[in-house]
Amino acid sequence: MIKRVSFKHLWLLSVVVLSVMIGSTLHATTKLVSPDDLKEKRIGVLLGTIYDGYSTKTYPKATILQYKTKSDIVLALKTDKIDASIYTYESLPEIFQSNDDIGLLGKPLFSFPIALGFNKQNDTLREKFNNFLREIKKNGVHDEMISRWITNGEVTMPEIKNSKKNGTLTAGIVSDKGLPFMILKNNQLAGFDVELAERFAAYLGKELKMVDMEFGGLIPAVASNKIDFIASTLMITEERKKLIGFSDEYYNLHAAAFALKKNMPGSGGGATAPSLSFYRSVANSFRSNIIEEDRWKIILDGLKTTVTISVLATIFGTLLGSLVCFMRMSKNVMLSLPAKVYISILRGTPVLVFLMLIFYVVFASVSIDPVLVAVLAFGMNFAAYAAEIFRSGIEGIEKGQTEAGISLGFNKVKTFLFIVLPQTIRRIFPVFKGEFISLVKMTSIVGYIAVQDLTKASDIIRSRTFDAFFPLIMVAILYFLISWFLLLLLELIERKIDPKSKIKLVPKA
Amino acid sequence: MIKIKNLSKKFGNLVVLKDVSIDIKAGEVISIIGPSGTGKSTFLRCINLLDQPSGGSIQIDGVNILDPKADVPKVRQKMNMVFQSFNLFSHLSVMENLTIGPVKLRRMNPGDAERKCMELLKLVGLAEKARSYPDELSGGQKQRVAIARCMAMEPQIILFDEPTSALDPTMVSEVLAVIRRLAKEGMTMLIVTHEMDFARDVSNRVLYMDEGSIYEDGPPAQIFENPQKERTKAFINRVRSLNFHISSPDYDLYAMNAEIETFCEKQILPLKTRENLLLVVEEMLQMYNPLLSSNTLEVTLAYSEKREHFELLFDSQGEALNLLDKNQLPDELGMNIIKSLTESIEYQRMNNMNRLSLGLKKTER
Repeated sequence: MIKRVSFKHLWLLSVVVLSVMIGSTLHATTKLVSPDDLKEKRIGVLLGTIYDGYSTKTYPKATILQYKTKSDIVLALKTDKIDASIYTYESLPEIFQSNDDIGLLGKPLFSFPIALGFNKQNDTLREKFNNFLREIKKNGVHDEMISRWITNGEVTMPEIKNSKKNGTLTAGIVSDKGLPFMILKNNQLAGFDVELAERFAAYLGKELKMVDMEFGGLIPAVASNKIDFIASTLMITEERKKLIGFSDEYYNLHAAAFALKKNMPGSGGGATAPSLSFYRSVANSFRSNIIEEDRWKIILDGLKTTVTISVLATIFGTLLGSLVCFMRMSKNVMLSLPAKVYISILRGTPVLVFLMLIFYVVFASVSIDPVLVAVLAFGMNFAAYAAEIFRSGIEGIEKGQTEAGISLGFNKVKTFLFIVLPQTIRRIFPVFKGEFISLVKMTSIVGYIAVQDLTKASDIIRSRTFDAFFPLIMVAILYFLISWFLLLLLELIERKIDPKSKIKLVPKA
Repeated sequence: MIKIKNLSKKFGNLVVLKDVSIDIKAGEVISIIGPSGTGKSTFLRCINLLDQPSGGSIQIDGVNILDPKADVPKVRQKMNMVFQSFNLFSHLSVMENLTIGPVKLRRMNPGDAERKCMELLKLVGLAEKARSYPDELSGGQKQRVAIARCMAMEPQIILFDEPTSALDPTMVSEVLAVIRRLAKEGMTMLIVTHEMDFARDVSNRVLYMDEGSIYEDGPPAQIFENPQKERTKAFINRVRSLNFHISSPDYDLYAMNAEIETFCEKQILPLKTRENLLLVVEEMLQMYNPLLSSNTLEVTLAYSEKREHFELLFDSQGEALNLLDKNQLPDELGMNIIKSLTESIEYQRMNNMNRLSLGLKKTER
């Protein structure tokens, strides 16, 4: 008997075979011996760093994947999203310490100088730092620092005397940069960069204020004078020189590649760590992510910030939204047109972009609490949606009821207050609640403007423990709980202002 | 009490009311009747200033309410309105619907207001629904609550805007009964309605409105039994008519027949009447056919619902000519058919026009 195989099936089969072949050659089979083997692999790098540019240039055939934090890269490596990564050689011991399945791939690739970044206009401060740097290099303090943090791998800050008489100095940092330059230990910042900044502040007699930011936010921040300088192992590149002024170099960093040990020769093809029982591993994660070094305090602070921003933004947005709604519904074009424009612009721009615009452009030269900026930005965004929700609610009330109110002798304002408004509130509440919940979750992007909210707190913990899943799941649960709790609160208010729903709760006789 | 002079209202270029003038005295119950779209509701809404009049004056107790300085909300308290669609406040209970006006506008003590409103609810027969919400009531109950809500403000006049038009037929009478009771108690009322029998026995004055003005004004006996003007007559006798303008021999007979059939269906006429009507029309047009190339013909079919009578009018231009004159006919067949189906045939020569009017014979139902 002859079996007929259709052309379509043949085609499908060949695709499957091919993809299996490609898959196996690309990832699993060939072992990584040296960085040269990365040519056609997937390489994870930190977005906007010198490694990013280096990988793109050196391995044109490789797939370069850009991540935002070091912990994200480690997570990607462990979950086989990437084959290897190029990172700062000096920071690797810390990663290897908490992840014994990851190892160095070959020797360091290249070295490059790092410096502090200043505003281009602020040459005086830059010169002062250069003088300071020459001084500590001469008197041995610089060597001491290198041996303390980089050679010996210490994690505690020395005592630095500072008179703090001459005001404050603001440094932009990235707290999850990692050892030996920057770590958060026992909720205190420590590391080479921290000591350098502290010593420089002491040299000037100023109090140091450190602002924790996303790495990508540092350069705009210094360019807009939000911070006085950047202390975050900033590599000197030509592109950055166009935007900011670099100090003299204070250290020469090395770049190196790392990968999973099981993908490198000598590991015997993947000796996995003895697996713990599920409950044991959860308990371990709980201890390392929450209890150790009082990390729960970071989470609690983040939680407070998230709730504060959500609640204040909602209140501000509701008030502003009412005003915009009033203008939008006005027959006067001078009022309704600006409202229309406002609504379309605010609804048409991503909140993140809007938030950054407000922080880096509108309040560029104003010293303002970033939490306030977040409240303002989210509130303005919320107002645009709220205005349309209110409008649909008001327009949903039959015109007849307004007419009935007016014909009874109420004026327009009283008719609105006594008749339209109570019904509008009742109608829009379900949609309003939904919009509120999405606002709560939307606040998770405030890390971009250096606000430490719940998401940022989990990022910080992740960068310390390199625990891939626990902090993420914990934060997801926390967001759910906040939303749920705040929703309950809103429903309580709803019951209060809507007597009818109270009555409806009692079953009819 | 209310003096309205030369009131007019335009929506853009559309003139809805023109030159409406009327004096309303206290205690008068005035029904406003007339075809749809003639501005009856707009007239009421203009009195209440829900629609701003385009011209004229409205004086209430000597105060011109169109004066920009007039305290309109205060005037409206004396002059409440009952709407076709009830317009109860749906977030408030029945009792709250009644008390909100007195409490918020007249600063009445809530306890007193509730006691007084309870009396009103008893009056309209809805005391036991005081704690219900509007969406738990039937249409008739809602409208009675709306009337009680007006009464709660102790107005001098109540304006009713088609109070029963949105109701199921079964609920019309309960609402009318309440209005009758108010009339008996001497309330001044202005009622726009399509309920002719109700208008006849509740009111002491009837306004027939047509095309944006008061066409005839008189006591119900005059308007309903002996209307003085032609359009009032047509309306009271409930005359419905259908018009055709034929200007060439190639007119579309099938479209015309279809239109006549639809018209008959609407008036719920017996099938036999419809067939007879179509037959007469067709025979008549047969006879007119030779003339159509040079003359135009107007055909009017008018049905009086009250008299159950169909009248057919054929108006043609040209020289004096009675087509149904024996001498004119080519044969007697068509004539015989027409004669057997009609009860009267009249010929008139007026304004250089020939008019033939035929009365259709009644058919047994």
